[in-house]
Amino acid sequence: MLKRGQTTNNNYLVKQLPKATVFVNRRKVIVFVSDKWLNDFQLAGNEAIGKNIISLFKNTNLEWQKGVSECLKGLPNLILTANYIDSNKNSKWFELQSTDWFDENENVVGTILQVEDVSLRVLAENKLEKLEILSKDISDKAEIGFWDYNLAADKLIWDNRTKAIHEVAEDYIPNFIDALNFYKVGNSRNTISMTTNKAISQEIAFSEKLQLVTAKGNEIWVISSGKPLYEKGKFSGMVGTIQNINERHLTETKTKENQHLLRTLIDNLPLNVYIKDLESRKILANKAEVEYCEALTEDEILGKDDFAFFDKKTAKSSRQDDLIVMRDLKPILSHEALHIKKDGSTTTFLTSKIPLKDTDGHAYGMVGISLDISDRKKKEIELRNLIDVTSSQNKQLINFAHIVSHNLRSHSANFSMLLDFLASEKCEDEKQKIMNMLLKASDNLLDTLHHLNEVVEINTNTNLKKKSIKLNTKIAAVTKNLSGEINEHNIEVINSIPNNVKIRVIPDYIDNILTNFITNVIKYRSPDRASFMKLSSSQEEHYTVLHIEDNGLGIDLQKYGEKLFGMYKTFHDNQDAQGIGLFITKNQIEAMNGKISVESKVGKGTIFKIYFNDKN
Amino acid sequence: MTKINTICIIDDDPITVFGMRKMLQSLLICNTINTFGNGKLAIDNIKTIIAEGAALPEVIFLDINMPIMDGWQFLQEFIELPIQDKVRINIITSSIDSTDQKKWQHYKDKTHHTVTYNNKPIRKNEIAQMSIVA
Repeated sequence: MLKRGQTTNNNYLVKQLPKATVFVNRRKVIVFVSDKWLNDFQLAGNEAIGKNIISLFKNTNLEWQKGVSECLKGLPNLILTANYIDSNKNSKWFELQSTDWFDENENVVGTILQVEDVSLRVLAENKLEKLEILSKDISDKAEIGFWDYNLAADKLIWDNRTKAIHEVAEDYIPNFIDALNFYKVGNSRNTISMTTNKAISQEIAFSEKLQLVTAKGNEIWVISSGKPLYEKGKFSGMVGTIQNINERHLTETKTKENQHLLRTLIDNLPLNVYIKDLESRKILANKAEVEYCEALTEDEILGKDDFAFFDKKTAKSSRQDDLIVMRDLKPILSHEALHIKKDGSTTTFLTSKIPLKDTDGHAYGMVGISLDISDRKKKEIELRNLIDVTSSQNKQLINFAHIVSHNLRSHSANFSMLLDFLASEKCEDEKQKIMNMLLKASDNLLDTLHHLNEVVEINTNTNLKKKSIKLNTKIAAVTKNLSGEINEHNIEVINSIPNNVKIRVIPDYIDNILTNFITNVIKYRSPDRASFMKLSSSQEEHYTVLHIEDNGLGIDLQKYGEKLFGMYKTFHDNQDAQGIGLFITKNQIEAMNGKISVESKVGKGTIFKIYFNDKN
Repeated sequence: MTKINTICIIDDDPITVFGMRKMLQSLLICNTINTFGNGKLAIDNIKTIIAEGAALPEVIFLDINMPIMDGWQFLQEFIELPIQDKVRINIITSSIDSTDQKKWQHYKDKTHHTVTYNNKPIRKNEIAQMSIVA
């Protein structure tokens, strides 16, 4: 038993101990206690001394009570960590350390129990544990391995992931030199050697994309990173990671290849390909489109809309189409449209516009594909013109064949009939009559042949050159020739054609044409009124048009319109009419690539319009 | 052979008219032969006959290509006239245009009159065949 004086003395000493300490006798009653200990458990001195330590903690958590009991069992140098939760549910972690309590005679009289608040350390440990789990997770998922090199021990540690990446067994023991030798000879090996050297000598961390040859001989792409460590300013080692990015690299390479392929493809298509955003601004354009926009690089036209390249009308209609495609999410396919650029040049495009949809199905732009069909279009027009010319020529030819056959047949029929009569005729008078008829028929045949020959000449003689001639000069010459008849019938000639009007014609033809029309005015004048002939001119497209107006008899075009310019067609009870004039005239006008039109009212008069082609 | 009262020739070619007349006269099958230089003169005459209630020609020889009013225009107006009796109309032409054949088919089907299509030259025996009352 301790003496009282000693006890007080000892208690004073214990009270001041810097570590939370409690002296418990064999009956587990607290004999001495340090202030720190009281403070840690928020007790007053009189609350602890002389009290059973177990009963003191009877209101705390079971783990703590067990821990304390364990320490008092008298096991030598026991250290344990236990969670302490007080009545206010505050949690603390304590490290408990127990040692035997000897008296001056070396007899064990109890236990000295020291506690240390290790809450912070435990929390940190927990955190570390969590971090480790996390990092392992990351390492597994991202295939990132960790390594650690200690210079002093010349020891390199690889984690399992790093070993897996190198395809070595889990018991493989790496070293620094071997580790570097895993990198592929050449660029990768050189780079890793250089960067590790630099890391050591210049304290520079590194991260490089390199190729590795695994223990099994597989070439893989990795990202190798390292960070030098220093202790008191001296290089002490290095830590780092290694990540297997082979698949990513292969995917990237594949993507790049695909991109390149696509780009090569669209750039070499004989089509203009472009992508536009919702505002119809270009966000991609292929080579053909760039060239069409007269830009040097794609960048020059990106971000610009159609208003930057086309005239307002073209741009507007193109934007309209874009909006419809992006609104309805339906493509417009092979739409033919004429595009007029700002400089006025035109191109006919066959354009398809296809909406681009995001994953939600909303349009975020559109792809445009345009085929330049200007050449085709031009050829189409040429072809159509050619067909027109050919079919018109064909029509003329058939018409001519009919004229020839009809006229020749009617003459030959007459010959054959008359000769038949002649053979069986007895009466001399009648014979003479038939002979006269035959002579007349022969003359008629010659006339017909002459007319047909004239037509053939007009249609086949393409060597005659057109000349530019003042229209009024020709009119003056023709009216002078016909002045006798004009004066005789008192026909007033009113010419309002400006003196500078010129026409491109074959001189011989224009003489005949003018003579014919003016003669017709005289021939078919109305006996009921004073006659006039009005001459005027106008310009229609590439034609200079001569208008010849009279107030003569007029023609019922409903009845005769089709036949007006036919051969041997006459429409008036006029002895002079042969039905050949307008036919020849029309052939001559058409031979000069002109045309002719007529307006007429019976009893009022007629207007002929003769179109002279200015071009060819 | 039944004697025909009136035959009408509509043709602008005097030689054809001369020949037709000569052949008809030699056949001695009709009393009167009227000739007209174009369709207009002929149709005007026929209209007058109808107005006066006189006898119409029983047989008409019709040329196609004529001034002022051609054979087809004549035929169009003729079939529209209120004529009860069947009239024989012989189209005489040197045309080989197939559209003329088609037109003939068209008019033939449209009327109760007899319409025939004949190519020149016409022989005497053919004239006899064509001069039978319809």
